[in-house]
Amino acid sequence: MNRQKGRALVADDDIAPILGRITRQDKTALRALYNKAGPKLMGILMRMLGNRPDAEDALQDVMIKIWTRAAAFDPGKGTGMAWICAITRNHALDCLRASRPARLQTRTAGIDTGDGLDDPISRLPDPTPGAEEQSLARAEMQRVVACMKELPKDRATALQGAYLQGLSYQDLASRFDVPINTMRTWLRRALITLRECLDK
Amino acid sequence: MSAQTSDTPTPDDVLAAEYVLGLLEGDDWQAAKGRAAVDSNFAARVQAWETRLSPLNDMYEDADAPDRVLTQIEAQLFPTLPPKTGRSWLLGLVSGTAIAAVLTLALMVWNVSPPPAGPMLQAELVAADRDLVVQAQFDIADAQLRITLRGQDAGAGLDYELWVIDESEIPRSLGVVRGAELAVGAELAAGQVLAVSLEPAGGSPTGLPTGAVLAVAELGNS
Repeated sequence: MNRQKGRALVADDDIAPILGRITRQDKTALRALYNKAGPKLMGILMRMLGNRPDAEDALQDVMIKIWTRAAAFDPGKGTGMAWICAITRNHALDCLRASRPARLQTRTAGIDTGDGLDDPISRLPDPTPGAEEQSLARAEMQRVVACMKELPKDRATALQGAYLQGLSYQDLASRFDVPINTMRTWLRRALITLRECLDK
Repeated sequence: MSAQTSDTPTPDDVLAAEYVLGLLEGDDWQAAKGRAAVDSNFAARVQAWETRLSPLNDMYEDADAPDRVLTQIEAQLFPTLPPKTGRSWLLGLVSGTAIAAVLTLALMVWNVSPPPAGPMLQAELVAADRDLVVQAQFDIADAQLRITLRGQDAGAGLDYELWVIDESEIPRSLGVVRGAELAVGAELAAGQVLAVSLEPAGGSPTGLPTGAVLAVAELGNS
């Protein structure tokens, strides 16, 4: 896990220049991006879409979106890796929301088996002490973990289910067996608390 | 975080968080997505939440990204065989249903069209996901592209924008399409691809399509 995290953080610094090459229509940058970030983006899509064929289709679409939108990347507002991960999550959510009716039963059924939702905080990787360039990312990670831990555990679990798997209010209401309005109220409060903590 | 979003959380800020997390569905999801595309203040809130939550991306474990997929992406972005314009590039951006609709349409047009009667090129762009048909007819003699639009409006704060894609595969804007009929001067050739995208009012701020590509069609002889 530590080695993997180390790789991800190093990749963080490498993505922005590749995006710059893409805006200059450098075709070799596509392969560079795929080699650096493909496994991370594929990991996001596998987790959110739940199967490899859909995830591979989505990865194609995501890479094409990144290619066509690279000029919109603003390094002042976050890392290249964060930007392409956001595009990827957003695309996966589009896929999930579009296939909603067919998906509903299998997804809510799958959640009760756990799938990382039972104790998500403990699944947050421990930050790896070490390389100087990792310190900023490490500090940010620690902050999110700390703020998540300030929330009631079930709210933190629900928020991570949404972020990591794209679970909607409806999915989460079924999972926690509460009315959807209760789930909305819980999570809206939790989001305000989370933001206050993160922006401190 | 940035100064403009460090105020007390507002309903908009909570909505932005709900959108980023993926809590919304159906109309709520679509509405938030539409706002993020056109409302720069809301988009900034969305971006701030994406940045705040981005450390959670470390929780996704890497998965194998096969070379086969990269090969397919390269084939879509950089078609090498018959230099048949950037059509494959664009088809990657529209949904499967849109592709099916375009292919069906192309067949219909070719079947129904009378034999070439004059120096005209035309394309009919039919959106799969909304009520929208754009007909484009290019008069080679006077280099005028005449456009008729039928169907629903782009919506508040939005415009339809027409693009042409040639061998360079880089979309070039032909302008924003408002009203039922208009004509613009243009340099076009058979085999180029026209596309309509949904953009913020006034057109794409970047010079490239930023919103959803609603329909594509190839310019062919009438």
